[in-house]
This record gives sequence, C-alpha cells and structure tokens, in this order.
Amino acid sequence: MAVITVESLSKRYEGAAAPAVDDISFTVADREFMVLLGPSGCGKSTVLRMIAGLEPITSGTVSIDGLIMNQVPAKLRDIAMVFQSYALYPHMTVYDNLAFGLRRRDVDRAEIERRVQAAAAKLGLAAFLERKPHALSGGQRQRVALGRAIVRDPRVFLFDEPLSNLDAALRVTTRNELIRQQQEIGTTSIYVTHDQVEAMTMGHRICIMNHGKVVQIGEPLEVYRHPADTFVARFLGNPPMNLLAGKLELGDVSAVVRFAGAAVPLERKASLASFAGRDVTIGIRPEDIYESPPPGASKSFARLPTRVVAVEPLGAETLLVLSLEDSRDELVARVGRATALRSGDRHEVALDIEALHLFDPATTRAIA
Amino acid sequence: MTRVASLGARARRLPLVGFALLYTVVTGGPLLWVASMSLRTTAEIFKDPYGFPSPAHWEKFADAWFKSNYHSYFWNSTIVVVCAVALVTVIGAMAAHCLARYAFRGNRLVRFLILSGLILPPQLLILALFQILLDIDLYNTLTGLIIVYVATHIAVTVYILEGFFAQIPQDLFDAARMDGYSDFEIFWRVTVPIGAPAIFTAVTLNFIVLWNEFLFAVVLLTDDDKRTLPLGIMHFTGSHQLDVGMAATGLVIAILPVVLLYAFFSETMIKGMTAGAVR
Repeated sequence: MAVITVESLSKRYEGAAAPAVDDISFTVADREFMVLLGPSGCGKSTVLRMIAGLEPITSGTVSIDGLIMNQVPAKLRDIAMVFQSYALYPHMTVYDNLAFGLRRRDVDRAEIERRVQAAAAKLGLAAFLERKPHALSGGQRQRVALGRAIVRDPRVFLFDEPLSNLDAALRVTTRNELIRQQQEIGTTSIYVTHDQVEAMTMGHRICIMNHGKVVQIGEPLEVYRHPADTFVARFLGNPPMNLLAGKLELGDVSAVVRFAGAAVPLERKASLASFAGRDVTIGIRPEDIYESPPPGASKSFARLPTRVVAVEPLGAETLLVLSLEDSRDELVARVGRATALRSGDRHEVALDIEALHLFDPATTRAIA
Repeated sequence: MTRVASLGARARRLPLVGFALLYTVVTGGPLLWVASMSLRTTAEIFKDPYGFPSPAHWEKFADAWFKSNYHSYFWNSTIVVVCAVALVTVIGAMAAHCLARYAFRGNRLVRFLILSGLILPPQLLILALFQILLDIDLYNTLTGLIIVYVATHIAVTVYILEGFFAQIPQDLFDAARMDGYSDFEIFWRVTVPIGAPAIFTAVTLNFIVLWNEFLFAVVLLTDDDKRTLPLGIMHFTGSHQLDVGMAATGLVIAILPVVLLYAFFSETMIKGMTAGAVR
C-alpha cells in the first residue's frame, strides 16, 4: 500500500530564469498507475527525480503514505526506478544486475535466488541470466531494467520514459507487457512519457504538464474529450485538434458561433454569457469532421465549405487536409479509407456540433 | 578491376609502411644496440661499437645483480614504484570520481589546482621538496620519495581518469543510489569496475614513468643502499672511469620490466586511452 502525495512542489535550478517545476500538486492513489505527460523540458522527469530522492526539492513536499519524504535519502524511500537508458551495470551479468539491489539490502542468498529466478521467468529472461548487458537486444535490456525494479518488491515504481529507446514495433509489445505486469503486481506507479499513446493506453490517470506546471489531471478519455486548454487539446490526439478563430453571438435563447463562413448554433449555456460578441477559439478533432453526415445519425451537423489541399491515405483511414474559404486556416479531417476526394476538389464537410470545443483566446482555457 | 584497385590501395599504403619501418628502426635500433652491448665487455665495445655479442657474456647480468648491488636497486625501485602507483591510483581515482560526479562548491577551483600540477616543471619543485623532506625527516628515505612521486603524479592520474569517469552515464549512479548503495560503495562497485580500462592505463603509464624517474631520486636519495634502478646506472659512470659494458647491462635490467609491461599490456592501455562512452 502506498499513496503518493505531491504538494506545492517546486524546483528552481541555480541561475535559471524560471523554475523547472512550478508549484505542482497531485495525489497518486494506492495501486494507481499515474502518467506524467508533457513535451520535452516540461519538468516531468524532474518531478519524478524529486519523488525518487535523486533531486533536492526547492519547496513543497513529497509524501508517501502521509510521511514527508523530503529529507529521506533515496535508498530509504523503498522506491524502484526504471531509467530511460535502462542503467544496467555493464560489468555485471543479468543475474547480478537483478540481484544488485537485494544484496545491499541483506536479503539472504536463497531468497535472492528465488526472486531473481521468478522475475527472470516472468519476463522471459531465464536463458540470459549469465549474459552481460552488451550481449542483449534493446528489448531484453529493457526487461532486465524492469526486472531489477520488480525483484526489489518496492512500495512504488517510477518509470522515466522506459520505452523511448525501443523501435516502434518493440515499443508496442513492451508497452502491453508493462500494462500486464502492472495489473498483476498492482504496485503504485508513476510513469513519465512524452508519448501520448503510451499515456492514453497505460495510465489510470494522466497528469499533463507544460512549462513546469500541471495543466490537467484526469482519466485518459476524460482528458481527451474535455481538454482544459488549447495546449492539452493539441497535445493529445494525432493529428491534433483543429483550432480555428471564430466569434460568439448570443441571442435571448440561442447561441451562434461564426467561423470560416459558417454559422453554427450552440446550446446556450450560462458560461457563454461573458463571451457574447467576443472572439473565441473553436476546436474540433479530426475524427469529428465527416465527409458527409453519417446516414441515420441523430446528431446535428454543421456544413462547412472547404477545398481539399491534400489527401493522405493511411490504409485503415485517410487524412484530408482542407483549406477554408474566407480564411487561411487549414483543417485536418480523419475520414474513411474509401473516400473519392482528390486534391483540389471543393467539398462541403460536416462537423459534429456536439463535438465542438470553445476556448478563451486570451487565456487559452476551455469555456465550459 | 579489383586487382587494379587493390594494387592502387597497396601503393597508397606504401608511404605509411615506409614511415612505420623508419619509426621502428629509430626507436628499436638503440634498444637493440644497448641489448647487444649488455652482453659484451667494455673492451669489446671500444674495439667494435656495433659488433655482435660473440661470445655472449651472460655472466655480466649476475655480476651486475650481485656484485654491483643491482638486486638492492631493483628491490628499492619495486617498493617505491609499487607503493607510489598504488597510492596515486587510489587517491587519483577517488578525486577523479568526485570531480566527475559531484557538483560541489569549489569543484572547478579544486580541479584547477590539481590539474595545474600538469604544467609545473619538476625542476621548479626540487629545491622546495628537498627542504620540506629535510624538515620532516623524510630526506634520504624511500617513504619520502614515495610521497613525492604520489604528489607529482596525482595531476596526470586525475586528468586521465576524470575524462573517462565523466562519460559513465549518470543513470548508473542514480540506479545504484536507489538500490541503497553509499557514495563510497558506488565508487567501488560502479566507477572502479566500469572505469577499469582507464585505471589500467593510468597504472601502466605511471609505472613506466616512475620506474624511469631520475631527477627526484638523484636529489632526494643519497645512500647507496636506498638508490633506485635509474641511479644504479651511475654506479658505472664515475668522473674518472666509464664502464660502458656494465652500464648497458644495468640499463637492460632497468628497462626490462617496463618493456615486458608494455609488450603485454600496450593494447589494453591504448583501449583505455581511446575508449568512448560506456554503453
């Protein structure tokens, strides 16, 4: 059982203009798999290293099960970490790499043997125990790194971009393996990545960071469907959400948002009141743009005249790059693979009105 | 086509081979000459300086070893060099580990002070060292010479080792810290084994240099029974006589360990000097 609480955590490096981590707070529940997601340099690895005890904390607290860990040395926190570079000791065999942490903790020899063999069997490493890391493939090294964390049977697992050195195919299988292991072992875990697919598929919850701050925390689909701001909207999803400039008009009973020659009626929510007559940013995901309204759909759609700039067939689906009339903005739409549209065609696409997002252009925050 | 190409390639390699041959003659020639003189008497050498040893006077080695006190010089050299190299390696490796690994206050100043030893000519230190050793009663002792050797070779040792240690990925140290190892254990169980090629290079280089060291030894040791091998050569060269044949025999005894060391370990040493990132 381990609950990790991070409160008002900050990190400022000497001589740096801005803090690397700026007043962030979150809680990871027992047995939860939390993903810290964000672009390079957003401070997510620094947060992980502060939780691990590898980086001094400038201000704020890190607690495990209610005990503040700020002054507790890394070795006493009972945390195991899997590093991006795997950090396998090149002069030791796989067996010794796995046993290294246990030996320091005075676990008796028979128990070390049992745990190492169990982890090796679980991870398919039994045949490689006598090999040195340089004689292993990238995937095998990654599994040794994971095994080294597992044998320790710690309270908390920390993962620092453990899949980023693997090729695409191996990344998928290793990702699935990690998900399976975590479900089986159930140890509280924090996983750092800049890969949104890893975040979406692995995390019970995602904590999205940008410029050292937490932007949004939530379950993967929740965050995907209701991004807190335009950064999250663009960062999650591939291709990212389309953002267009528009204007909101409020009537007595209705609301209309006008953009790129289209006037789209919206439900008149109270939160829209302060934006009456003001500019707004409209967001729509590529999969919510249809070549034509699906037959029999009960939703309402807005029609938008466009011109096809490029057609990118991906096999299972096709991406359309569309330019809008009356504006320089471009849209990306994800449509069926059978589309007959060609570059240069003029075409009226259908937007799912319910799937439109509105953002405040000044703050970039979502308008609820 | 390939035949022509390979001929062309060979022709291009010719100057390189020629240079390598010339270099071998220039460096190996004197060595062979001294080796041949070591088996000849001084009279034979004066008669024909470049002659072949015939008959070979192997007994000269026994004479040098027992009658000219070479066993004592050899033993002194061994004690001084082994102790100095061991100490300079341990201290140098620890210092290099700290400089490469920890961002402590004054890190750059300490590095500067240590590495500035690289540019100090030994002649500059000799008077001060003489006086200091006299003051602390270590003048004319092997211990004094060992301390001087350690002090003067820390700089080059740190220089070689720090460069290598700095390339060991930080993640390995972080992983060991999380595994529960202390700073010293990390040095001993991670830095030392991974840095072994560089440590080996430093040991070999220091061994060769100290084994041949003359200046400090000649100034800081006076008793004959405390002399090291390079001083032993002086035994045969006085102001009124010069026993070239025995001097050559003494030289061969002195350089033999170094030549053997280099012959067996040169490849490992070069690997250590040129090794890239640890991956």
